[in-house]
Amino acid sequence: MNIRNIFAKYYETADIRIPEIEKREFGIGNNKKIDARHLNFANVSEFRKYLCMNTPMFVSHSTAYYRFPGATPIQKKHWLYADIVFDLDIHAEGKYGVYPLLENMKKDVVRLVEDFIVNDFGIERQHVMIVFSGNRGYHVHVRDPRYMKMGGEERRELVDYIMGQGLNYLDFFPSRETVHSKLMGPRPDEGGYRGRFARKLIKKLEEDPTAISRIFKKDQPRKFFIDGIKEGNYSKTTLKLDDLLNRLSLIAQDLSVGTVNTDVAVTQDLSKLIRVPNSVHGETGLIAKIVDDIEAFSPFEDAGINGENRRIKFIEDVPELEITETKEFRKEDMAELPLHKALFFVLRKSAVWA
Amino acid sequence: MDNFALRYPFTDDAKQVLEGAELNSRIIEMGFQRIKNALEGKAAGKIVYSENEIIEEIASYAAARMILGTLGNQFITGRFAVNESKIARAHLNKENQAAVNRIALHFGIITNENLLDIPTYLKYCPKSTPYRLINRRIVSGKVEISENEKLRLIEEGIRKHMEDIPRPNDPPEEIKKAGERLLLELPKHQTRITVKEGDHPPCIMKLFESVKKHQNLPHTARWYLATYLIGIGMEEDAIVEIYSGLPDFNEKITRYQISHAKKKGYRVPSCSTIMSYGLCCAVCRIGNPLKWHTISNIRKEGIR
Repeated sequence: MNIRNIFAKYYETADIRIPEIEKREFGIGNNKKIDARHLNFANVSEFRKYLCMNTPMFVSHSTAYYRFPGATPIQKKHWLYADIVFDLDIHAEGKYGVYPLLENMKKDVVRLVEDFIVNDFGIERQHVMIVFSGNRGYHVHVRDPRYMKMGGEERRELVDYIMGQGLNYLDFFPSRETVHSKLMGPRPDEGGYRGRFARKLIKKLEEDPTAISRIFKKDQPRKFFIDGIKEGNYSKTTLKLDDLLNRLSLIAQDLSVGTVNTDVAVTQDLSKLIRVPNSVHGETGLIAKIVDDIEAFSPFEDAGINGENRRIKFIEDVPELEITETKEFRKEDMAELPLHKALFFVLRKSAVWA
Repeated sequence: MDNFALRYPFTDDAKQVLEGAELNSRIIEMGFQRIKNALEGKAAGKIVYSENEIIEEIASYAAARMILGTLGNQFITGRFAVNESKIARAHLNKENQAAVNRIALHFGIITNENLLDIPTYLKYCPKSTPYRLINRRIVSGKVEISENEKLRLIEEGIRKHMEDIPRPNDPPEEIKKAGERLLLELPKHQTRITVKEGDHPPCIMKLFESVKKHQNLPHTARWYLATYLIGIGMEEDAIVEIYSGLPDFNEKITRYQISHAKKKGYRVPSCSTIMSYGLCCAVCRIGNPLKWHTISNIRKEGIR
């Protein structure tokens, strides 16, 4: 069974949309993710032809747009601007450890897009594209012309912001007036981390009041406190204000998006190559699918290559997996699976074609 | 005559004043002097009276840029940029709102009710903790800035503009000569940093790279570099020599600050602090930069 034929057949009709494709550098890989780079294509049909004829295991394009994308070395390409790409990535023990975590990661993607990119950065949703990475995470491509000229340092600042690097919630409370012993702080209708902090606190008080203090169990003191926060006044409570500030550290946790953590370099690097959306990932056989509705997205239902069932023989033990809806397999087991699941286990080197 | 063009010789207003003006030896000499002043750290502008003097003064700025462009020396250009932006800033402090906005517009710094869009903000904000995006009030794609901060951003814009000088195609002989004379004015020893890949963590290597290129470093970066160099046991003189590459180098201040840091025994900040300064540029997972010297070469190679 030739894997490349499966890929090539998929590429014949694959939905390839790459804006300004003629300005992008391409990289392809067979043994590793990128064996060769500095390729370029004049248009989508030329690119498609290449994918069908040569069919690499991995294909990526530059986030950058160049005047001469095929020129080497990189300085001669003449950088024009670049998409901003955020890489959300998870790691876990074992070959199949990450897959159960993918579902949980979606809420981080949603938070990244809605809270940070749209609300804080003021980027319109139409400029944001969510792409399944084909393996262990998601890529978020941002194509707002106002942001695309940004240099590496400025991009790094955006990532640090999202990751909450250097965030100290005590800075939200600068105007401590000792005279009236009044503690002023962020209001829920504010933007950025300040508003996020206030909103999260109110939510916490409503859903799990004792996490902050036992005194908020009763409706009256809780309501009084919340009404104060809405006006940015954190003193409407009998708690000592210093004590209150300490207790609020609980709220300051998880305000940022933790999973962007792993690959800041992707966003910062102005000449980075990123997997082509809707191309196939050579380690899983899954499509790096452009995701329209992330809540409903499921990799094995929506990003698999369709085809007839195939028989495979396992060459190592594989645990029961929810994501592929497969039972536990033992070494030497034979199984007949839908094409994309069979392909997945073969490419993960847990099985061979039978 | 409006002196606006004189105060801000980088604006289109200044270009208009210069229309038809000719480059002569006198102007080139004035341009040379203008750069020399920057190298010597003389911040004061000249007092001029007549219209002709104003034109000559503005022309000297244009000549200075030609000299710098021809010379292509980042150290001298950096010193010039810092000096000129500080002079312009001193003027800005005395301007009314309309004039400030006129200059701001030059850099696309357009505020509405103290709000500035994030890309422009990030382009011009100084790299220091209070300016970090995370510490700002943000309202849907815009950052709140005070009037004073706006001036700081403009100053940074001016400095960046001054650093970005095109290489003239066919510069006059006299300009070339002025450039060569400038080289003689340079401090005796230029910074020599000889390190090879892997000697220090990537963030330190990046700072060395900036120093080599005579780029300006933010306060936090200078601070971190100093604690690190002290931490690895470098001699005070050697540290001062490294800092001498910075465009606003002042030996006395540098020496004082380094010996002060040494005396106080300030520790090298942790990686997370460096990240919060915005200086981290790799994923080393070593916790503290000094640990770099304890990890294996193979691990070092894996970190980029």
